[in-house]
Amino acid sequence: MTDIAAMGQTTKDAARFSQGSRMVGMLSRAGLTLAILAVILYGSLANPVFFTAGNFVNVLMSMSIVGIVVVGMTFVLVVGGMADLSVPATIACGAILSLALQSYIGPVPAFAVAVLLAGLTGLVNGVLVGYVGINPIIATLGMGTIVLGIVQAAVGGVIVYGTDPSSADFVKSRILGVPMIAVIFIAIAILGNFVLSRTFWGRWTIATGGNYSAAQASAVPVRAVRAGAFVITGFAAGFSGGLLGLTLQSARPLVGQGYEFSAITAVVVGGVSIMGGFGSIPRAMAGLVFVQLLTNVMVLQGVRTPIQGFVLGLLIAGAVALDIALRKRGVA
Amino acid sequence: MPSAASALHMRGIGKVFPGVKALSGVDLAVRFGTVHAIVGENGAGKSTLMKILSGAYAPTTGTIEVAGTEVRMKRPADAQKLGIRMVHQELNLVPDLTVAENIFLGRMPKRLGFFDRGGMVRRAAAILAELGAAIDPQQRLGDLSISQQQLVEIAKAYAAEPRIIVLDEPTSSLSEHETVALFRILRKMRDAGIAIIYISHRLKEVLDIADEVTVLRDGAMIETRPASGITAAEMIRLMVGREVSNVFPKTPSTIGREVLRVRGIGDGERFHAISFDVRAGEILGLTGLVGAGRTEVARAIFGLAPLTSGTVEIDGAPVTIGSPAAAARAGIAYVPEDRKGDGIMPAMTVRENISLPVLRRLANRFGRVRRGAERELAGTYVRKFSIVPPDGERRIGLLSGGNQQKAVISRWLATDPKVLILDEPTRGVDVGAKAEIHGIIGQLVANGMAVVMISSELPEIMGVCDRVVVMRDGRASVPLAREGLTEERIMALATGEESAEGEAA
Amino acid sequence: MSAFVSTLLRYRVAVILCLTLAAATLIVPGFASLTTLSLGLDRGSTIGLIAIGLTVLLIAGQIDLSVGSVFAVSGIVGIMLQPALGMGWAALAGVLAGTAAGVVNGFLVVALRINSLVATLATMLVFRSVAHWMTASQPIPGNDIMFSITLSEIYLEVFTVRSGLFLVSILALHVWLTRTVAGRNLFAVGSNALSAEASGISAGRIMFLSFVFASTLAGVAGVLQSLVTNTGSPVYGSELTVAVIAAVVVGGTRLEGGRGSALGTLGGVLTIAALTTAMEFQSVPAYMQQVASGLILILLVVLDRTVRTGRRKPAAAPAHA
Repeated sequence: MTDIAAMGQTTKDAARFSQGSRMVGMLSRAGLTLAILAVILYGSLANPVFFTAGNFVNVLMSMSIVGIVVVGMTFVLVVGGMADLSVPATIACGAILSLALQSYIGPVPAFAVAVLLAGLTGLVNGVLVGYVGINPIIATLGMGTIVLGIVQAAVGGVIVYGTDPSSADFVKSRILGVPMIAVIFIAIAILGNFVLSRTFWGRWTIATGGNYSAAQASAVPVRAVRAGAFVITGFAAGFSGGLLGLTLQSARPLVGQGYEFSAITAVVVGGVSIMGGFGSIPRAMAGLVFVQLLTNVMVLQGVRTPIQGFVLGLLIAGAVALDIALRKRGVA
Repeated sequence: MPSAASALHMRGIGKVFPGVKALSGVDLAVRFGTVHAIVGENGAGKSTLMKILSGAYAPTTGTIEVAGTEVRMKRPADAQKLGIRMVHQELNLVPDLTVAENIFLGRMPKRLGFFDRGGMVRRAAAILAELGAAIDPQQRLGDLSISQQQLVEIAKAYAAEPRIIVLDEPTSSLSEHETVALFRILRKMRDAGIAIIYISHRLKEVLDIADEVTVLRDGAMIETRPASGITAAEMIRLMVGREVSNVFPKTPSTIGREVLRVRGIGDGERFHAISFDVRAGEILGLTGLVGAGRTEVARAIFGLAPLTSGTVEIDGAPVTIGSPAAAARAGIAYVPEDRKGDGIMPAMTVRENISLPVLRRLANRFGRVRRGAERELAGTYVRKFSIVPPDGERRIGLLSGGNQQKAVISRWLATDPKVLILDEPTRGVDVGAKAEIHGIIGQLVANGMAVVMISSELPEIMGVCDRVVVMRDGRASVPLAREGLTEERIMALATGEESAEGEAA
Repeated sequence: MSAFVSTLLRYRVAVILCLTLAAATLIVPGFASLTTLSLGLDRGSTIGLIAIGLTVLLIAGQIDLSVGSVFAVSGIVGIMLQPALGMGWAALAGVLAGTAAGVVNGFLVVALRINSLVATLATMLVFRSVAHWMTASQPIPGNDIMFSITLSEIYLEVFTVRSGLFLVSILALHVWLTRTVAGRNLFAVGSNALSAEASGISAGRIMFLSFVFASTLAGVAGVLQSLVTNTGSPVYGSELTVAVIAAVVVGGTRLEGGRGSALGTLGGVLTIAALTTAMEFQSVPAYMQQVASGLILILLVVLDRTVRTGRRKPAAAPAHA
């Protein structure tokens, strides 16, 4: 079974990791840092607005929403779950429900319920993928369409508006000049990193993604671990959707569109392997920073949206090709 | 009988990889109509040599002559065109196609431009019949057992009417019956003039089938001799470079109370009504033909597969094992058969591999794994079992098979088990490491552990086990005592020539 | 499991199709008519044509998420070049745009060895951007509105040019998959590319050609759509990818490779088409239609999974992509 199916069966690429990967790891990390510095340099030279606090704050704010999703998506990729394509639906769930329920139960409970329902979606995804054993692409794609439809049906298919200004203010407030959203995002990223790299759950996640049957034979609760990654992503996307909704004070059903691809882009560019078993939150964050800075530079330079999409696409392809080439060199 | 013309002559073959000299100055001459065996420890260069012969690699130095003509092969297709066929240890088959389609993979017959299914099935059936394999050519390959798949692999090579056929550990998944049938075929092929190269770790088999034997060691050819002029002990000496007196030493130990008892366990499918017990300080051998159900029994006891009947008792108390985690809690440990597949986590370090089952124990209140405690744990085992290189931070994929196996065993010892089930612990491990692993097992039983050893190597079973259970087709004999037990008796029980009724140990 | 139930499960695609048709006929007044049939077939043919290409690709063990974007680009090219090349040649150019996209995908996956999910994710973004760039994000009208009416003409009371093309193509695919050596080799590559390669089958070439094939068909579908609507639009095809994958998976082809069938895809396409047509008749809002398609997809895959684990020993590892 080939390529995308190679995750599972016969072409278990143990050889990829067996030699010299330390050198490769350092190289790819160095490469990304250099790329980020290069973008900053170029941006500063090309446009006086770039290297200003105001601009960086903007970047930080847009990065934060995607960033929370990226934390979850990292778990999914590392555990070998390929991708969670239900993110647009769970973001929409978070955004729409946290606004729509405000007038009924108050802003904070509305937020909580929205995130909880998104997490529930993640749980169903997790059960389908981890316990029933369905292909994650299909499962999350299917669940995504179902949930998005349900959410729209629940609000009658219209655009939802926020009714509580205090929550909007909270979300837009700042701590020491740093936007609240960014603070929340950084906190979640730190928490995510702690779990993935330091706890037994994170180790289990890496093991399950690295070699499912060996992990199982080593008493790792592999099915729960796989399911867990999708639960985490569900909550993360719901959370970020809720924040997005509160920030915009309005939510339409397609509000989450494209976030799954942005998240996967960031994670892949950061060097997290789509095969599973390798990666970390810092790596994903580096990828995120790079992509966001690059997009920012392009926007400031007046590059049209289509071209931006073009560049992003090239980036993904380039990053993965580079990653593969570096690994091959480390292996031969 | 065809003249003994030269089928293959590899002269001065050397192969250098970046940083590694895999082969140097290897000469190999094989004549048509002979069976030429190649033996050597893991890492001696056998597979590299065969990859060169099959066209997968090009030699750095040296020449290859096939039937007297010098050839240069750049890819496997070149070798195949020259009539060289390989039967690999890892099956090169396609699970979703039928047996017949696999046999003719890449050479499927056509009729009027379309694929001639009927003709192909007929020819496949004929070949399978010749090989004495009772396999339906229309069956999906993935539904067959491993030993059946290996027979299909052999049928595939045979169907291509090769001039030279190379078999790499062909009997590793075959029962004794099937091995005898295979040897019959090989002799037929040899008599028909085909040159056969036979690679195996099973020295007795080598002496049985081969006309000539070549020993490789450390990438060089040590010696080639007619099979009649060499013994197994001499082969070992040449392979290892030192006298290995007793490959399977028996460490004395005192046998204590019963630790594990299984009564009438079955999974409803692969094994039924299995009962045996293992006592502290004892090594219980579990053997039988491939497919008899040994691994299935072990996996079920360990919680990797469900039991539909029977009970499992640890220290006299019944336990329900629903998962490997539950098994570990009950004190059962299992080292799987397939090291690469179910054993090691190749991307992780030795330390991470060893600590995997006990991470919860090593973690603090918040779930954080205490690095210091982890390092200490790994370090203990690295030292105790002389894992080489003695660096817990090295990626386990870089270690040799024997050292990987030691690490996997360490992983389970860290859970402090009462009973350790080892499934083919020395398979794919060279002679030196084999002795080391047996030494480790001996230490463990001397300290009171109960060990179940699954093995297909009768000398191993006979050498180290206190009692032996022989399985056949999902059923087991009662445990047989070591005294008076012969390999012939085990074989008779395994093949059903003797039935295991009412023999107590 | 009784023999009846297992036969039911073996032919589940046909069963689901019949159930869907039965339910639709009962629930929707006027469903069972020739007009509905021709409408449904025509609609379904867009998904169907792309599904043909995707079936081949999935059997080979790969995936292509960019088909929706290729659909849009081809349609745009087909319309934009009309003034310059005339309708026929412009249409051909549109199809060739699809072929070119397939070459790009094939190159990324086979030559650069990028995972097909990631690669086609990237090309999906890139091609969609190209579509927006070419049209400045506005739909472009075509030259000949009369032609679009000719194209929509119904023959034999049931078939349009498009649905006829689809049906012929899928039957051709069925023959190719089951009766030619190349078809068997495709299954081999999808099942175990290394083994296939070792037996002299050029896995790389087969995978490359599969990408080209899938994108070309997406191009054909895109051009046909643009001709029928007389418009080239950069937003066409954005929901297509999911629907096509759903149709193919419902039809029994799996993402793992090595398994699949053209007739299954036909059944899947017809099921999805029947479902969407029925729901439209009932004025079911678009988002509820999504829910229904999603549910069918998940149900079917779960069913398939339980059937397989029931029949054989449970696999140690679950179905990866």
